[in-house]
Amino acid sequence: MEVDSVFYHRFERHDHAKGLKAHATHYCAGCGHGLAHKYLAEAVDELGIQDRTVAISPVGCAVFLYYYLDVGNSQAAHGRAPAVAIGHKMANPESIVVSYQGDGDLASIGLAEIIQAAQMGLPLSIIFINNAIYAMTGGQMAPTTLMGQRTTTSPQGRYRLMGEPLKMAEMMAGLDGPIYVERVGLFNNQQRFRAKKAITKALQLQVENKGFSFVEVLAECPTHLKMTPLEAEQWVEEEMVPIYPLGVKKDLDPEPWFDLGPPTFAPDALLDVIGSSDEVVPRFADGFPDHLDLHDVALKFAGAGGDGAQTIAKLTCTAAINEGFDGTYIPSYGPESRGGTSYADVHVARDEVLSPSAPAPHVLVAFNAPSLEKFGPTVAKGGLIVYDETVIADPPDLDPSIRCLGVPFTQLAMDLGEAMVKNVVALGAFQAATKLLPAESFRTAMDQALHGDADLLRTNEDAFARGQQAAQDLLTAATP
Amino acid sequence: MPPPNATLPPSSAKTPRARSRKKKRPKPFLYPQFCKACSRCIAACPKDCIHISDEIDPRTGLTPVWVDLEACNGCGICFEACPEPFGLMPKPDPDFDPGLVPPETYFGPKASTAPTPTAIPDERVALPRMEPMVLKGTHAAAIGALLAGCRHFFGYPITPSTEGAELLADLLPKLDGAFVQAVSEVATVNMMYGCGGAGLRTMTFTSSPGFSLMLEGISYMIGAEVPGVFVNVMRGGPGLGNIAPEQADIKLVCRGLGHGNTHAIVLAPSSPQEMLDLTMLAFDLTFQYRNPVVVAGDGYLGQITGKVTLPDEMVRPGLPAWAVYGDEMHRGNLICSIDLSEQDLERHNAHLNDKYRRMTANEQRADHYRTDDADWIVVAANTPSRMAKGAVRALREAGIKVGLFRPVTLWPFPVDALLPLVERARGIVVVEAGSGQLEDELRLALSHRTDRVPRIEHIQHFGGVLPQQHEIVEHILALEEQPHGS
Repeated sequence: MEVDSVFYHRFERHDHAKGLKAHATHYCAGCGHGLAHKYLAEAVDELGIQDRTVAISPVGCAVFLYYYLDVGNSQAAHGRAPAVAIGHKMANPESIVVSYQGDGDLASIGLAEIIQAAQMGLPLSIIFINNAIYAMTGGQMAPTTLMGQRTTTSPQGRYRLMGEPLKMAEMMAGLDGPIYVERVGLFNNQQRFRAKKAITKALQLQVENKGFSFVEVLAECPTHLKMTPLEAEQWVEEEMVPIYPLGVKKDLDPEPWFDLGPPTFAPDALLDVIGSSDEVVPRFADGFPDHLDLHDVALKFAGAGGDGAQTIAKLTCTAAINEGFDGTYIPSYGPESRGGTSYADVHVARDEVLSPSAPAPHVLVAFNAPSLEKFGPTVAKGGLIVYDETVIADPPDLDPSIRCLGVPFTQLAMDLGEAMVKNVVALGAFQAATKLLPAESFRTAMDQALHGDADLLRTNEDAFARGQQAAQDLLTAATP
Repeated sequence: MPPPNATLPPSSAKTPRARSRKKKRPKPFLYPQFCKACSRCIAACPKDCIHISDEIDPRTGLTPVWVDLEACNGCGICFEACPEPFGLMPKPDPDFDPGLVPPETYFGPKASTAPTPTAIPDERVALPRMEPMVLKGTHAAAIGALLAGCRHFFGYPITPSTEGAELLADLLPKLDGAFVQAVSEVATVNMMYGCGGAGLRTMTFTSSPGFSLMLEGISYMIGAEVPGVFVNVMRGGPGLGNIAPEQADIKLVCRGLGHGNTHAIVLAPSSPQEMLDLTMLAFDLTFQYRNPVVVAGDGYLGQITGKVTLPDEMVRPGLPAWAVYGDEMHRGNLICSIDLSEQDLERHNAHLNDKYRRMTANEQRADHYRTDDADWIVVAANTPSRMAKGAVRALREAGIKVGLFRPVTLWPFPVDALLPLVERARGIVVVEAGSGQLEDELRLALSHRTDRVPRIEHIQHFGGVLPQQHEIVEHILALEEQPHGS
């Protein structure tokens, strides 16, 4: 019997199914939505997908689609139904997700969402009701309103300043994502037959996992056209169809493709991808570097973007944590990713790092003159500066308690044939000059960071050793 | 005769297309009260056998159509022209007399044949003991999400939160999960609405201007009771502001989650470890209450790298009974925030209020540092709480009785734990990277609970400047010098 359809037997959500509302829609007489609902329900029934279907109700007159269709229902914000549909489809690729939207919803406020969904090309079925008006809010101009058409917000008729009618089917067909786009009408038996066929096909293509389908339905809104239903049918045929030509706009037959999940929840797989390890990292330090500070050593590494200050800051932080201390590292960049200013604050604390910034560092490593100019004066009394002597000719005058060690980071790196490793030269020099942690701590951290790439590790170890040696030589020479 | 639908198998058992073939051109039948007299069928009928009645149906006030069955050849075209689901339909049985059977019997008593769903519970899976990791705050939150069973991420890049999204873009495909870079934050939150509405654990990373764009969707999620986790790495504002740390959105996350009667639990981490731990907690809470949860860090917490110890268990998520998953079990479900009836919407809000009350009663969280005997209570959250802790340590060394009260939930504000401290303290010093939004939450929470609002001082920086330890020390030293009772 026909009433055993995909429609609910009673519309409980329609004002608690009071009186006639149990079996009547909320639509006005002759509204195109009722027909589109019916063809959608029949298609779901014929394809045997009632249990898999999720219908996304839009904002507009069809906001209450969920009153009627006995499928999974989700009601979206204005224009966002395609985004909600993407969420449902990604959540359960087996579900058949239908986004049912009107012209204000899809073609105005939700343009970005429909275009993204179309271009993703996910197997989704979009039913787009174009009745050339905002009906639910009382007959305002829609993006699809015809030129000259009077609405409450185009009372003299739509004219040029209000923009041109938007041809969604043609726009969709022009995108690479969709596989099937058709525009149909509801104004006579032939068109109704085609409309039902198109809606069925849009669902069929999703069942076959082939791709994104878009069916634009030219629908009658007799109420806001201020016409009888039959006059409205005639108006759609005579006025809308010339602007919105009916027919198939795109029809491809690709291979099924959408293949996602099910997600993995195996603990081993998870621990592996996040790079976690149960291997105990060896420790080399005898104790906290009290000679720098009793509780918390503040460090600053500063240069230009690309100098590698961030890398050695993170290595220092990692090495400290490996040794059982607390460590933090925080970067600061200019808005550009490379080439701008770049500095990093690091703390190494016996128990717990409190403020992670280093406004008055114990040690500054500077890669260029501007960094030294800027941060040199902030170094704590009795502190230390290690800078790149290759590019900084004259270090500024600073508090006499601050030791300044010029090591040619760049030159030593170029001697190795790898200008890129000047930061590791700097790290070696920093280690030798500060004895913050043993050299082996830094080598271990480098090994971790390079994930066992032996060639790279050798180059970096060479660079580290050269920096270390250079700083050591300077310190030895300075010792009376 | 028995209710006709009682003899039918459930629709899922039907062979596709089988029914339409076996039909033998039944003639139309109509309950006149379900006819809206649109006349589409009249124009559609090739035999001109459908006519508008000349009598008004008293139940509708309309003049329904009637069918001249003598002239009808059962072509069925009128069924496809009738916009009403219970309008013109094939007559099931030649002997069927609709006059004797009320529509309720005819259409069946049930709204749906969908089964009653049952929840599949989450599982906690033990993890082996691993070595501590060195992680950036955003990465720690991303890993926390993975450990909490989240395999669906939707997001839009925005500094200083993007690294979390970047990590998940790399890791999720390796776990057969989904990473979608949405066209905007507006699309992001609605993808979360869909995925969370399907009953799955979903999240995003964003920062202040992006969070503003998500507020509409968050209101819908709260209204429709959809879970989802928002990690908001707050930055300097208003407007485009800058990318430096500011606690700029406390007002938004505590008082301004879109339109309507909205609240969400807001967790405020202060370290990479808490970025992980609180993100995991956020997933539990968002499903426990069917309400979004915000993890509100500041720019420093997004960018800071530090030591992170993994938990001893992870979550293999189940599927809640209410999900719209797109399968037979959940077919009867609805995710929706519209309620036209004023009475229904009032009831729904009362239900939400009840949830908010339960959150307020059960989810207040705070961390204390030397507050037991404190004369001065420093209140600070996120990164400024680290400076505040340093200040408390330094002041204690100088013999000054000061303690740190660190709200871990910004909403609900942990006022229960604060009240007894306030009773004995000389005053409160709110330290924040913002222009008083945290202080407003504190004042509001206190004013609901006591007539004796204590002395409240503050140290504020904004625009990306953070309060520093020495400022806090100096401020409290100055307070100490004032005579008691001033």
